[in-house]
Amino acid sequence: MGNLELIVEKHTERIHRGLEVLPTLKHGVPDGLGNKRWTGDLILATYEQALTGDIPQNDLEYKTGNSGGGFDVLGWKSHDRVAKVDQDQVDLSIPLNKRGDGEKIEIPVPIYGGGMSFGSISLNFMIARARAARRLGTYTSTGEGGYPDQIVPYRNHVITQVATGMFGVREETIQYAPIVEFKYAQGAKPGLGGHLLADKVTSEVAKMRESSMFTSLYSPFPFHSVYSVEDHKKHVDWIKTVNPRALVSVKVSTPTDVDMVAIGSYYAGANIIHIDGGYGGTGAAPEIAKKNIAMPIEYAIPKVHDYLVSEGVRDEITLMASGGIRTADDIAKAIALGADGCVVATAEAVAVGCTHCGNCERGRGCQVGITTTDPELSQFIDPEWGEMRIVNLFNAWSKRLRILLASFGLESIRELRGRKDLLVRYK
Amino acid sequence: MQAQETGYRRFKIESRPAPHVYAIPNRFDVRARKIRLAAMLVHEAFEYRFEKDVVLSRPCIYGVFSGHFGGFKPLKHKCVGCMRCVQEYPHIMTVKPSEAYKKLGDSFWTPEMVYTVWNEASTGKIPVKGMGYKGAFGGEGFDGIWTDMSEIVRPTRDGVYGREYISTRVDVGRKPTSIDLDKVTETPRTIEIPVPIIFDELPNGTDNDDVQTAVALAAGNIGTLDVARETRLGRPGPDNLLPLIDEEGIEDYGEKQPSILEFDAENPGMLRKLLTRFDRSIIIGRLPLKEDSGRVASELARQGVHGMHLYADYHGHDYSRDPRHISTALRDVHQQLVRDGLRDQVTIIASGGITLAEHVPKAIISGADLVGIDTTILVALQAEFLGETRNRAKCGFRPRKINPEWGAQRLVNLIGVWHDQLIEILGAMGIRDVRRLRGDIGRSMMDSELREQSFEGIAWAT
Repeated sequence: MGNLELIVEKHTERIHRGLEVLPTLKHGVPDGLGNKRWTGDLILATYEQALTGDIPQNDLEYKTGNSGGGFDVLGWKSHDRVAKVDQDQVDLSIPLNKRGDGEKIEIPVPIYGGGMSFGSISLNFMIARARAARRLGTYTSTGEGGYPDQIVPYRNHVITQVATGMFGVREETIQYAPIVEFKYAQGAKPGLGGHLLADKVTSEVAKMRESSMFTSLYSPFPFHSVYSVEDHKKHVDWIKTVNPRALVSVKVSTPTDVDMVAIGSYYAGANIIHIDGGYGGTGAAPEIAKKNIAMPIEYAIPKVHDYLVSEGVRDEITLMASGGIRTADDIAKAIALGADGCVVATAEAVAVGCTHCGNCERGRGCQVGITTTDPELSQFIDPEWGEMRIVNLFNAWSKRLRILLASFGLESIRELRGRKDLLVRYK
Repeated sequence: MQAQETGYRRFKIESRPAPHVYAIPNRFDVRARKIRLAAMLVHEAFEYRFEKDVVLSRPCIYGVFSGHFGGFKPLKHKCVGCMRCVQEYPHIMTVKPSEAYKKLGDSFWTPEMVYTVWNEASTGKIPVKGMGYKGAFGGEGFDGIWTDMSEIVRPTRDGVYGREYISTRVDVGRKPTSIDLDKVTETPRTIEIPVPIIFDELPNGTDNDDVQTAVALAAGNIGTLDVARETRLGRPGPDNLLPLIDEEGIEDYGEKQPSILEFDAENPGMLRKLLTRFDRSIIIGRLPLKEDSGRVASELARQGVHGMHLYADYHGHDYSRDPRHISTALRDVHQQLVRDGLRDQVTIIASGGITLAEHVPKAIISGADLVGIDTTILVALQAEFLGETRNRAKCGFRPRKINPEWGAQRLVNLIGVWHDQLIEILGAMGIRDVRRLRGDIGRSMMDSELREQSFEGIAWAT
């Protein structure tokens, strides 16, 4: 073994050990860890769940952050007089196709992985996510960076994303996919398109995206072929022609008229409307966009849900929510507000060691090998290790969801949808 | 060839690095427990058979331990708070926000805000980070406003420089409601500036010659205005001054007329004098935002003022008995003028508490045509905080000695990067002209309203 391999091995071992030691609180919660949304407690609780597959048993706060609004000021009603249900009997599955035609796909947990593109994240992390999705029976999304060959073995659990840059979109990558996701916008940079900084465009990334090395890559905004619901329907028809089996998901941001956008997507033939709030996102984005453009997901979900109900189509389309979903409680709250399920990405990154420091685009990229194309740093995440961490996190979340639902006397997560009456607000 | 050289050139503010001249506090305090560090090195030396490269390979990709003494004397200024050293060696390393960083600013200026302005002024680059938003959910004032976006919009965005043109030009002055070309009795008296941001008067005691020169140079470079209580008559160079004059100041002009001026609109009779004396100038009435500012503004507009500069305190609160945020106070004034059919005739400049790029579009949505920045100028120029900065009469800043050209570049960078961010906001909304944003509350979302709509039916916890 050469010195470089030894160095990688040394740091990999140290990082992994740190992820085990830190949640024990033997050294306390590090002062510099976390922020208002992802508090130090939440980060350590996620490490713990990713290690054990169980709900944290120590004093770590694993349910909410400290942002002073949204999910963080919502709690659960006391529910002493409800006939309890056996936790093990609680069904967490949700359907992704509620229409009368097409493949009937259900996922056993109300969660799938959001788009993080090859180039913005390391290949190893991408493989880890795909492996985890396969093991859990759910999905992960390619993001808009192409479809690496190493992902093909997991194709039955990979959503192909079609975004404005069309990077890596080929006939076969659409034909692989059980679900194709149109990304019209994303919450972290709504209305701004995408931008992969030049430093991350290595030869592999450039090859995958059919571009030049170390040149910034932009995904324009918007789709220049779509300026109406009818145009949007053409997109859906295109996918269904290339791959008649595929379900179509439409990912949009959360403007004031997000409810109209959702109904437009329904009439265009989408199976899933995926609304992405501004407070999540994993890719590099201008700070001004994240904080200030479009509404947080907590406000968008009821708006869309209520409108789809009023239009009489709510039970024909699946509503997925993302953009700041950090915990099992966030997922349950999102569903109680009206979503069918949630899409997560940041939490998966935290499961494998992300500290939410936000330096993803600085220098060589992520220091623990998540959002980087650096060949040395990328090795910190072994795909099998990453797979288990993500699987464990989802299992821990499933336990928490089952406990919560059982305590309300609900036998299925589907019964939680739109049950705002089970929530309470804190000042 | 000639035509190309003299032809169309898209407006762009050219930024150049203008690094901090005065040392800024390290953001993070990195410390190693030295005995444990030494023990760890010995342990790793044996574990890796004294392979120097492996033993001395450090848990930092930013070079914090790249000094001669490694972890024994970390290079704290290089730390970005990634926490990898703590992850790898939690028993040895601690990283926390430094005390000096935490003390930056005052009750309004958070350390994060100060750092943001410093970095924008230094680099001229938009702050970009990964992994989502990290701050508070919503809040009061500007923090409780989100701007709209549109899924399917023009102008398109094909990369930063490939985007269709979005205008940030605004008019300052008075426009007639209509023009009868056969009988022109009133012509528009306006000037146009390329960005909806001007430099406002600086707090008492902070506007030394170097600072004033820096502001004047920056205003000239950008093509915007700077407000100051002086005439600068006879000075060479570009004159982008918006003089704030009193009765004595009128005499200084002799026969001359400034293209634009401000006056204290609380001084009765002053407007009439100015309209008579400066019949070719644009006359802007300056007045504090209060409960009755809407009524006063309407009255001034009827008397013929060309614009109003409405100011809050430096923390963005108006001077009402129960102080309101400038965004609320501006909405009142704007709506009063709309109701009275006067809004399109006069310009509203708003200042006080405009300290971050997002405050510009939010103030414009609230009803201003453009904004003025004040204490932000001092922060960009690395002035020292000396306590609270809210009070206009006694503001806690001490300017440092600066090179005016360096200062001018810092301000050019700041306005340049705010301009870029304004375009991001407008682009996301599909708005091609900042003038269309004025008072367009419908393209914004209020935390307080959305909360009540979306959480309707959710009981309060008891």
